[in-house]
Amino acid sequence: MPSPPHINLLPDLLISQIAAGEVVERPASVLKELLENALDAGSTTIQIQLEEGGVKLIRISDDGCGIARDELALALTRHATSKIASLEDLERVGTLGFRGEALASVAAVARVTLTSRQQGAPHAWRLAGEPGATPEPAALLAGTVVEMRDLYYNTPARRKFLKSEATEYAHCIDAVKRIALAHPGVAFTLSHNGRVSLHLAKSDARGRAGAILGDDFLAESRAVDTGGGHAQGIRLTGHCALPAHSRARSDAQYCYVNGRFVRDKLLTHALREAYQDMLHGSRYPAYCVFLEVDPASVDVNVHPAKTEVRFRDGRAVHQFVYHAVQRTLSASLAAHPASTGDTGSGTDDGAAQYRSGAPLPGGAPTAGSERPAFTHYAPRQESLRVSEPAVASYFAFAQNARADAASARFNASDAFAPAGTPGALPSPAPGGDDGAPLGYAVAQLHGIYVLAQNAQGLVLVDMHAAHERILYEKLKSAWDERAVATQALLIPAVFAAEPLDVAASEEHADALRELGFDIAPMGPAQLAVRAVPALLQAADPAALARSLLVELREHGVTQLLAARRNELLATMACHGAVRARRQLSVPEMNALLRQMEETERSDQCNHGRPTWTQLSLAELDRLFLRGR
Amino acid sequence: MVLIKTQRDTLLAPLQSVSGIVEKRHTLPILSNVLLEKKGENLTLLATDIEIQITTSTSGAAGDGDGAVTVGARKLQDILRSLPDSAEVSLILEEKRLQVRAGKSRFSLQTLPADDFPRMTVTENDLKKFTVTQKQFRQLLAQTQYSMAAQDVRYYLNGLLLLVDGSELRAVATDGHRLAYASMPLEAELPRQELILPRKTVLELNRLLADNDEPLSIEMSPNQIRFQFGHIVLVSKLIDGKFPDYERVIPATLKNIVSLNRAALLQSMVRAAILTNEKFRGVRLVLSDGSLKIMAANAEQEEALEEIEVDYHGDTLDVGFNVGYLLDVLNNTSVENIEWGFNDANSSALLTVPGNDRFKYVVMPMRI
Repeated sequence: MPSPPHINLLPDLLISQIAAGEVVERPASVLKELLENALDAGSTTIQIQLEEGGVKLIRISDDGCGIARDELALALTRHATSKIASLEDLERVGTLGFRGEALASVAAVARVTLTSRQQGAPHAWRLAGEPGATPEPAALLAGTVVEMRDLYYNTPARRKFLKSEATEYAHCIDAVKRIALAHPGVAFTLSHNGRVSLHLAKSDARGRAGAILGDDFLAESRAVDTGGGHAQGIRLTGHCALPAHSRARSDAQYCYVNGRFVRDKLLTHALREAYQDMLHGSRYPAYCVFLEVDPASVDVNVHPAKTEVRFRDGRAVHQFVYHAVQRTLSASLAAHPASTGDTGSGTDDGAAQYRSGAPLPGGAPTAGSERPAFTHYAPRQESLRVSEPAVASYFAFAQNARADAASARFNASDAFAPAGTPGALPSPAPGGDDGAPLGYAVAQLHGIYVLAQNAQGLVLVDMHAAHERILYEKLKSAWDERAVATQALLIPAVFAAEPLDVAASEEHADALRELGFDIAPMGPAQLAVRAVPALLQAADPAALARSLLVELREHGVTQLLAARRNELLATMACHGAVRARRQLSVPEMNALLRQMEETERSDQCNHGRPTWTQLSLAELDRLFLRGR
Repeated sequence: MVLIKTQRDTLLAPLQSVSGIVEKRHTLPILSNVLLEKKGENLTLLATDIEIQITTSTSGAAGDGDGAVTVGARKLQDILRSLPDSAEVSLILEEKRLQVRAGKSRFSLQTLPADDFPRMTVTENDLKKFTVTQKQFRQLLAQTQYSMAAQDVRYYLNGLLLLVDGSELRAVATDGHRLAYASMPLEAELPRQELILPRKTVLELNRLLADNDEPLSIEMSPNQIRFQFGHIVLVSKLIDGKFPDYERVIPATLKNIVSLNRAALLQSMVRAAILTNEKFRGVRLVLSDGSLKIMAANAEQEEALEEIEVDYHGDTLDVGFNVGYLLDVLNNTSVENIEWGFNDANSSALLTVPGNDRFKYVVMPMRI
């Protein structure tokens, strides 16, 4: 019979190795931890040397504040850190790291050597991460060099989980890019097997985003900046790609909270929602956004790798992000095509608006000081100049189109005063955007496309798609103005629910009522739907309630009903919009263009397809080899 | 072999009564066919969609001998219908083909073997049988069937509850928002039994039943129901489910009852409905001393206001309804006046016919 097991205190090395299991997953995670240390030390230039995908060697040289001789040994000890000292510090932590585990964990599974020269010290000291080692004098100009060799040399089991050199190297590049995006004021150089593969000079947020995500991304995206002054100190900055430039995979999504890259469900959800009804099918939006919140209102101590965060008021953050991004995206490009245009001139103008986010000199930077500081982004809404002779009839068209949204009846003759001279085209003022960014209609092509000329060149408009979006936005705002109509159920729909759902139904009772729902618990695991929004009365009430509660439980808010409602409205708009093959007169087409300029999100139709495109004169010239 | 030689109408009339249930698209090709079965002078036609089966027979079909064949129901019906009224039609059975001849027209239709035609097994034991007139039953259906749900996930609402209790037959239909109830007396005395007729059966019966005093015999078994009237026998499966307790839904006490002229109310509603929202069609009813106002507004903020004089003295009531639900009941009752009973703006309203407790209509308000 085996003797009963005894309880033993584990040896120190084993404890560190267990902890390392959580933190040190692969070379990229070592790299991330070491880079964060370098940044927390206030470095402005960081050099990274890798060998064999980071398995053989990771060497990080920074020009930060350095470590004193006596503290070198302490730095390699578990739960030793200079970043926090008390619980209060933890609650308001502004540095990237704070657990005091990273170096110790790495030292437990790899050979680590620290070389550092503190500011003002006569020379540098080197410490090998072996038991009993003492610091030796060494040569170094400034800062710290951390060298990690032979990852997992003492834990062969772990070593087997490592992938090929190329894969591990790719992960390392990702880690560098993620960190570099949030720290534009720091120069990074990455070399692999002795060859420099990535060099990022000091820049501003916009420049860094362009260097990492490509200039295409910048040209195809809108800058977001909610500005300071929010009551809870929340601020969102960064870039969101336009819906037309979505991706097939969710690979271009960079989301930062207080400078820390996170993969947070709440934020991803809010961003996804913001792209709703502009994104085609199963496409993924691309974005790079930085959220700044009061460090006290966010808990980053959820997971050792810190890619998850917990917000004190998740609902408020969700709403804030959702509205900020949605507002940015909904401003139609048609209203100001030059501001984010496809040509260089627009973007250059924009670049001047951003001031460089240089870090504070010396010491550990506090949260926010290194945040890319975008200046306030103000969408320019040109007002319509009512000087056009035919403008009255444009408005008549607008009114008529609106009335027709419901009935799909289109009676042009009512709307237009008998146009005397449809052939007399107003020509756009040269070089100016005279209140008509989409220009003036020239002709209609095959009853499908409207051709218009503006200052830049030729504008092509898919008239059905454009009109569909205009009607859709009108229907939406008409519905938003009204109180939600609720149809009470004669026979309540009773369904079995999880206790969590029952709790959610009670917790969010008011929110549900606002949405037009009345859900009451019938027992510990049963809910009854007693009223549904009148608009959705044909839907299955139990299924609707169930998905609603799941959303409320996870995110505290739900756009589900709005989404379902919008689907209905989109169908109505689609039926109400002018069909292909319908001949439009010039005043009708002009009215359509003016409406597009006024309508939010008019760059995409309800299904995410673009509604118009610009062929600039330069592009046309190229087609004909002119001016060469 | 000449299977049948007869006047067009002798063939068309029975064909039309069975072909209504034949679905246009089917995964089983034979289900779009009708079975023609001839024995002596007698021709039997049978169509089915697996849930419902209709049989009808006609006499006076001359021909060379007996035989049975199945042929596309809709095609045959379309051919017969487009022939001249007085045409004499011959159906000639050839190898795997059925030839239709009339005057100088020739049609050759493909057939499927009669033996493959699916027939419902008709339960013969444990039957409860009673007889009513076609008119009575048709009226019972007409008063209730418009409240049936269509394609609701609660499958038991996609039909009509038929309930026999003592000497009374009741019909109840609801889609979860409103409920219609009607009853009629029976001459027989029967134990309580309830069953749910599928929606399609109800609609088909409504189409086939005549507005006369000819008898309709109904035989109920726990999972099947059989209707026999004229030359037609309709057998239908039942919906296996528990219908909601309709008695709990009908309000027992009412604070106020207003009598309204049905035709006047209907016309006002029809007009107001023009400016309701096309997706949920809400109307507001404001009842105050001596007047009922009907108000509607649509998404474009266009408004309708109708006012009717009523004999009412009491508190003002302001309540919203789906106008479709009100139009349904007003359209489907043929009486002079209708009574509207209510408690408050949040509870269900009861519509009844004065002096007749055999009809009740309950509708839930809509908060606009």
